[in-house]
Amino acid sequence: MQALLNGLVSGLLIALPAIALSLTYGILNFANFSIGAMITTGAYLAYMANASFGAPIAIAAPVAAVGLALLAIVIQHGVYRQVRNADHVTLLVASMGVAFVLENVLRFFYGADVRTLDVPVARPLVWNGLRLNHEQLTIAVTALSAMAFVAFILRATRLGRAMRAISDDPDLAEVRGIGRNRTVDWTWAGVLTALAGVLIALDGVVDPTIGMNYLVSVFAAAVIGGIGNPFGAVAGALIIGLVEETSALAISTTYRQGVSFVVLVLVLLLRPQGLFGVARIRR
Amino acid sequence: MTGYFIAILTFVSLAVLLGFALNMQWGQAGMLNFGLAGFYGIGAYTAAILSKTGVDGLTAAVAAIAMTAALSALVSLATLKLREDYLAITTLAFAELVRLVLTNETWLTGGTNGIRDIRRPLIGLVGGERYELFFLLLCLALVAVTYLLLDRITRSPFGRALRAIREDDVVAATLGKNVLALRVQAFAIGGAVIGLAGALHAYYFTYIDPTEFAGFVTVYAFMAVIVGGKGSNRGLLLGACTVMVLLEGTRFLKDFVPVLSAQQSASLRLALIGAGLVAILIFRPQGISSEYRLSIGRSPSPDLNP
Repeated sequence: MQALLNGLVSGLLIALPAIALSLTYGILNFANFSIGAMITTGAYLAYMANASFGAPIAIAAPVAAVGLALLAIVIQHGVYRQVRNADHVTLLVASMGVAFVLENVLRFFYGADVRTLDVPVARPLVWNGLRLNHEQLTIAVTALSAMAFVAFILRATRLGRAMRAISDDPDLAEVRGIGRNRTVDWTWAGVLTALAGVLIALDGVVDPTIGMNYLVSVFAAAVIGGIGNPFGAVAGALIIGLVEETSALAISTTYRQGVSFVVLVLVLLLRPQGLFGVARIRR
Repeated sequence: MTGYFIAILTFVSLAVLLGFALNMQWGQAGMLNFGLAGFYGIGAYTAAILSKTGVDGLTAAVAAIAMTAALSALVSLATLKLREDYLAITTLAFAELVRLVLTNETWLTGGTNGIRDIRRPLIGLVGGERYELFFLLLCLALVAVTYLLLDRITRSPFGRALRAIREDDVVAATLGKNVLALRVQAFAIGGAVIGLAGALHAYYFTYIDPTEFAGFVTVYAFMAVIVGGKGSNRGLLLGACTVMVLLEGTRFLKDFVPVLSAQQSASLRLALIGAGLVAILIFRPQGISSEYRLSIGRSPSPDLNP
């Protein structure tokens, strides 16, 4: 039971960047490999506000979200839009370059030291023998509210309709005056990714590799959900979280990402459009 | 100083081999390998572990090549019906898994301590003081042989079929090509070359640990290929040299900017490499070499204008 609970919480954590990945994938049609480095950057932005300027985490997290959203916009305009003949392979390689730059800029300023956010330590809540610590509670509440908000935007607003239109059929959307390469999606991706970074940092430590440690899980979640489908990504993330945590009972936790890898390969072989995706795979 | 040049040229040869592999997998067959570093590590560790158990160095190198090729084929099988993105994700995840195994399976790989004192092949014959030069010549010879082999493959009907698949796999399949088999073969050939480079890496440094096979190796290889012009093995020679000059040139950065710590200048170098990669993609996506057409076929053919 404890493993199930932990799995759900870590699934919620993975869900945020997985949604971000799906949003940008659905719209630009390329898998953003810099998402791991973006998570790390979000964590460091929060660390900067929290530890260097003494802001409480409730302020540091929004600061990180805004900061990373700005950065995502800058990268989108500065890099992805500039790459000429932007087929998705070129964009993939470019995003790998971006990840490399981000990670090493962080190393430049902060070194490889392991840091922690300055948060008060509290006793875990215990209920019928199940333990839920405050960090996990924060993760669950934040992730759920962020997801509810994204769902609201996608389902109930004009903006959401436009976003879904682009991801369904970009050409048709273009005809109706909804262009690709829109800044607003990157803003959302930035906010969600930053929140994930802050939550990961809250749950553990801040170091230059934290985002990379989640990269495989995030991709696996997005693929299981049918890449490009934000709602599927949430389900995929919960599955990945549960599988990772329950497998920890049998396999050493150092191989968590290995478990995700196996799940990823199995899904690609057996149901390449994802568990919740429609069969709309081109080529 | 001569020693330094020999070392640099050896590094360049290793980089060229990795670039050849990527040119085969990505340039010819259009298959993205973001886990190159992982395959490189498998080559190096296979050679190192076998040499440690007393296997002759050359046999160990052949085993490393076979092992890397086989694993490449296996990994490529997982995603072959899908777009390049999925292969990129899978190979990246595979490299991460390799890193975890190398770091944690201490009984086999020595964990973070790595493997030291790897026996160099033919050292008894060549002798210690001449060995560096001998090794460089060996590397250059292997680069030449690999170049000729790959050139042959590229110009063969097999190579043409690969490029056809890269451009449009549905058309190629319609014309009776076995897309799956061709792709697996192309990925395995690239894997074999990576395995060779890995084995040479292990023998050259005589010490390996998991940190040497991290993502930066993949980034260097991609940069060498992109600088040289994707698909051009001749351009790659130039590309690999450029990347190495950049790497080595920025090594002296800390001499000019003394405030930086060693750690900081190392990070700055890597960040600059990444920025360089992005800049090339933006400003010169076809690479500095214009040999793309020349290097593939003697006669121009329509599939060379992507």
